[in-house]
Amino acid sequence: MQYVIIGSSAAGINAIEAIRSKDKKADITVISDEKKPLYSRCLISYLLAGTIDEKKIWYRPDAFFKNNKVDAILGVKAEKIDPDKKEIALGNKKKIKFDRLLVATGSSPKLEKIPGVDKKGVYPLRTMEHAVEIQSMLAKVKKVAVLGGGLIGLRAAYALKNRGKEVSVFVRSPQILSQIIDKGSADIMQRHIEKKGINIITGRSAKEIKGSTSLSSVVLDNDSQYDCELVIIGKGVNANIDMVKDAGMKTNWGVVVDEFLRTSNKNIFAAGDVAESHDIALEEKSINAIWPVACEQGRLAAFNMLGENKIYDGTLAMNSLEFFGLPVISIGITRPKKEGYEELIKINPERNVYKKIVLRDNVIVGAIALNSVDTIGIIGALIKNKVDITSVKDIILEDYFDYGKIVNLIKDVKQGFKEKEFRETIMTL
Amino acid sequence: MKKIYCDIKKCLGCGACEIACAVEHSKSKELDQSIKESPAPIKRRKAESISQSVAISTGCHHCDDAPCVAACMSGAMYKDKKTGLTKHDEEKCVGCWMCIMSCPFGALTRQKQDKIVVKCDLCPDRDVPACVEACPTGALFSGTEKEFEIKLKVKTKK
Amino acid sequence: MSKPTGNGVNDKLIAIAKENNITTVWDRFMLQEPHCGFGTLGICCKICNLGPCRIDPFGEGAQVGTCGADADTISARNLARNTAGGASCHSDHGRDLALTLLELGRGKAKDYFIKDPVKLRKLAIEFGLKIDGKDDLKIAEELGERILREYGQQEGELTLIKRAPKKQIDTWKKMNVYPKGIDIEVVETMARTHVGVDNEYKHIIECAVRTSLVDGWGGSMIATDLSDILFGSPKPIRAEVNLGVLKEDEVNVLVHGHEPTLSDIIVTASQDKELIELAKTNGAKGINLAGICCTAAEILMRHGLPMAGNFLQQELAIVTGAVEAMVVDIQCIMPSLPDVAKNYHTKLISTSPKAKFKGIEHIEFHEKEALSIAKNILRQAIENYKNRSSKKVNIPKEKMTIVAGFTMENIFHNLGGTFRGTYRPLNDAIISGRIRGVAGVVGCDNPKNESSMCHIDMVKHLVKNDVLVVQTGCSAGACGQAGLLTPEAAFRYAGDGLKEICETVGIPPVLHTGSCVDNTRILTACCEMVKEGGIGNSIDELPVAGAAPEWMSEKAIAIGWYFVASGIYVVLGTPLRVLGSKNVTNYICDEIESTLGGKWAFEGDPIKAAQLMVEHIDKKRKALKLNSLMYAAA
Repeated sequence: MQYVIIGSSAAGINAIEAIRSKDKKADITVISDEKKPLYSRCLISYLLAGTIDEKKIWYRPDAFFKNNKVDAILGVKAEKIDPDKKEIALGNKKKIKFDRLLVATGSSPKLEKIPGVDKKGVYPLRTMEHAVEIQSMLAKVKKVAVLGGGLIGLRAAYALKNRGKEVSVFVRSPQILSQIIDKGSADIMQRHIEKKGINIITGRSAKEIKGSTSLSSVVLDNDSQYDCELVIIGKGVNANIDMVKDAGMKTNWGVVVDEFLRTSNKNIFAAGDVAESHDIALEEKSINAIWPVACEQGRLAAFNMLGENKIYDGTLAMNSLEFFGLPVISIGITRPKKEGYEELIKINPERNVYKKIVLRDNVIVGAIALNSVDTIGIIGALIKNKVDITSVKDIILEDYFDYGKIVNLIKDVKQGFKEKEFRETIMTL
Repeated sequence: MKKIYCDIKKCLGCGACEIACAVEHSKSKELDQSIKESPAPIKRRKAESISQSVAISTGCHHCDDAPCVAACMSGAMYKDKKTGLTKHDEEKCVGCWMCIMSCPFGALTRQKQDKIVVKCDLCPDRDVPACVEACPTGALFSGTEKEFEIKLKVKTKK
Repeated sequence: MSKPTGNGVNDKLIAIAKENNITTVWDRFMLQEPHCGFGTLGICCKICNLGPCRIDPFGEGAQVGTCGADADTISARNLARNTAGGASCHSDHGRDLALTLLELGRGKAKDYFIKDPVKLRKLAIEFGLKIDGKDDLKIAEELGERILREYGQQEGELTLIKRAPKKQIDTWKKMNVYPKGIDIEVVETMARTHVGVDNEYKHIIECAVRTSLVDGWGGSMIATDLSDILFGSPKPIRAEVNLGVLKEDEVNVLVHGHEPTLSDIIVTASQDKELIELAKTNGAKGINLAGICCTAAEILMRHGLPMAGNFLQQELAIVTGAVEAMVVDIQCIMPSLPDVAKNYHTKLISTSPKAKFKGIEHIEFHEKEALSIAKNILRQAIENYKNRSSKKVNIPKEKMTIVAGFTMENIFHNLGGTFRGTYRPLNDAIISGRIRGVAGVVGCDNPKNESSMCHIDMVKHLVKNDVLVVQTGCSAGACGQAGLLTPEAAFRYAGDGLKEICETVGIPPVLHTGSCVDNTRILTACCEMVKEGGIGNSIDELPVAGAAPEWMSEKAIAIGWYFVASGIYVVLGTPLRVLGSKNVTNYICDEIESTLGGKWAFEGDPIKAAQLMVEHIDKKRKALKLNSLMYAAA
């Protein structure tokens, strides 16, 4: 059996490990357009911030491919899939045969369609290469404009502030992190970040980037100018679906997959940022371009490529952020846009604590925990298992809510908690 | 796989496991000294109430399919191939709290000063984990699931 | 399984106990390990039913109990209540002696006598009684009544506390810890530490201090003085210690506990010809009476009877298989004794109306029929001799000779000779630098330590550094067994200056001054040293220090506190259970010195602890501008 994987980040690496754990002999080929792909994408901003050194960014050791007996084609782009011939055309004109293919092509940063966005000094922050280039010009930079108040934008802003730069973040929407958390928690986080010296301007976007050999300023939508030598664009990502779309498989925002993470072609699977799959909280197909989902999907897709028929429960949005010592974790739906949701909120301004639970018919579908995050994973388990939490509803936001408080729930709703570790805890009850 | 089990029927929620754990994971490993240390030693096991007068001592379950390992973006959290335990490499940890986000047991704790996560490591320096030794009622048990089941059966026969 | 004891005699008997499936204190100690950290740090509170509550000492979990009390309040309250417990024990002991004195005076306790009429009259005068023309019994009656009144007194002051130097009294008044009466202060401590009463930790610590003063300058001091009056003031006397004092061919009777009221009468009864004859008809050569714990100290000090063992050795004494009867009263008696005794013929007899034990025959003791009860008890022991199984007898060979019986009245009579019965020679020896200072090393023994070794190592280090050591209770027992309580010990262990003094006067470098209530003899000695002059105008200025390296009881806490309150630096081997509160720890181990003059220190290594005491004594010497030591080596 010939397994081919396109992409060697979270989903690709986990797929390799999963295949190898079950089949010591199978031929595995991985194709990546990056020469050294085994780093952790999420750590790029940490590297830029100087809070970790380069050693820490390597998610797997150099010998990973060799140890797993993987034929790694690196620094070469996969350009075309021929599903009938089961063949992939590479940028170096070579062709690769496959029996089972995993598309883990990930996503690319969205770029603003404004004049000047192609100038030198304007960067997204997605790859090692971006980080290295930004770093190389930092000596000449005093002021930075970050366009976008999402996860990447703020992480870049935090990193550059940490490097002693004067940083302003321009956010089109009225709050930061609007894709991840609600306004109440975002406002607390925004005040905290501002107190640490980053300017955040909400409700404002850029319409032009000016400069010649080097950047000079950003022109804003109210025609004011912000002088800067570096612009970081953090406007989210688009799934890299072109190749799959061209090959005639079903795509939407991403590559549409079924509960086995299989595309509309039975030999081709997709995982990670590129895959559009069932979302547990939304109960519809969606993309959650996050690391844990990519890892889980990579593993599961690999098992199904091996023919194990494992059903994927679905994806769930999850994000963990920390800026200047203030952490926030969000899971699932945090800002319900439709009717029929209930929100429980508890705020303690003195301790900078904000907690929110979003319910639909007494089943949790989303949660935010700001500065009180240690037990949020328990809420995640309740979301995944779709448990009616009526019996613990009145204590779920309390500081003393912990695993012990759901033990009786696990006992009563056994079918929900299928992992054996849950059963272990109630063996003696 | 050898790990720690708690017999809820015997757990009184006294918190002896918590203290023993924190002390074992302190620099000095001495109660008197450990309470003066900075960063303060962190317990990796918690005595929690289930309902009034019913308690459980809980910590990392070293899950077979560990969500924290899948979520870890730095490769710090990993499964030990020999023992099956979920291990954590503090050197590689960057404090992203992704594991905390994914742990269904709330069994991980932030060590804020060094920005790393800490969890049950089954006391690698000891034969019997400190919490199990500290448990005054024998509610905590260290061994395989089979061994725990046998122990429970022997007890009920008596 | 059990903990090593570091003591050959104990180890041998523990091994025998093990062979016979008998558990001892060391086994049970291991079963309690690890000890609860919350309890050890003093941050669990069981005072009210909102709890029990605990404070997380690592700062993550609860920082206050349900009522809102924090670690400071909780540990301070616990400490105050412990102190009250200890003070109650000693004061109650004193009360019983006052009642005996009263009964004697009223002619109802006919088996007792006024053995030290001079001291009776002195004490009566001190208590403000007119003694002219009154006989001993009349004075005894009036003094008994007068002392008992002081227990129930609601206002005013204690009589004996006026023995303290003026500066100490002024300090206590200023700090608002000067006691009004004896019982009232214990009651008030209990009331103030009830839920929702006193919550500010320093204010609660005042309770602990005041209650301890009631012990040291009240109940305990009364107990010592009345014991001297009723049973005779001790004189230096030779005796033997350790389990080797038990005799293969005699009826061995052990008295164990604390109050001398019964044990002293048993001493009289044991000399009864009829009983000795009975022993002989039962096949024994005689009656061998010996003691355990502080009862041992009482009969040792006054009659030179052997001290068979310390607190920790009470079970092992039974394991020798050679004890016909163990007669117990109150304090430090292990409830485990019946479990050990059921493997042997040993008869256990409880005697105090205040203390009964599951599985122990109770023969209640009354002062009115003291001698006949004592004889009855001895008769039972003698009749039990025939039940002794020679196969089970394992009497260790080890025993040691000691010289005990030192009191504050007699030590320095010896030091200065009959014609110079003052403290001048002691003060001069300190001033001249022959003696560095004086240290009290007292208290229990505890399986947390290698048994007795902390006492022995500490005392050796002190005498090597020319510190004269005074001892009481089980600490003296430990050092006695190690041979430190003999005049010859000066040659082996003492520094040159101290050696010179011991040699000249013929005393041991370590002086046994009695049971744990007799710690007050050390307070009195400090007062005498101040009065004599030249080494400080108040107790806190004296070059002295105290230690309880293996303490375990609440009484030890009360004793420690009254020494600290009286201006003395006190080192404990294991910490008071306050470490969970940084504030309380810091207050009692540091800050409080600026008011009281004394403070606590905790040091587990006995040598390091002894060194702390030496350094403290040196600090005091320096403040007094005393000469450097004559033979300074250390």
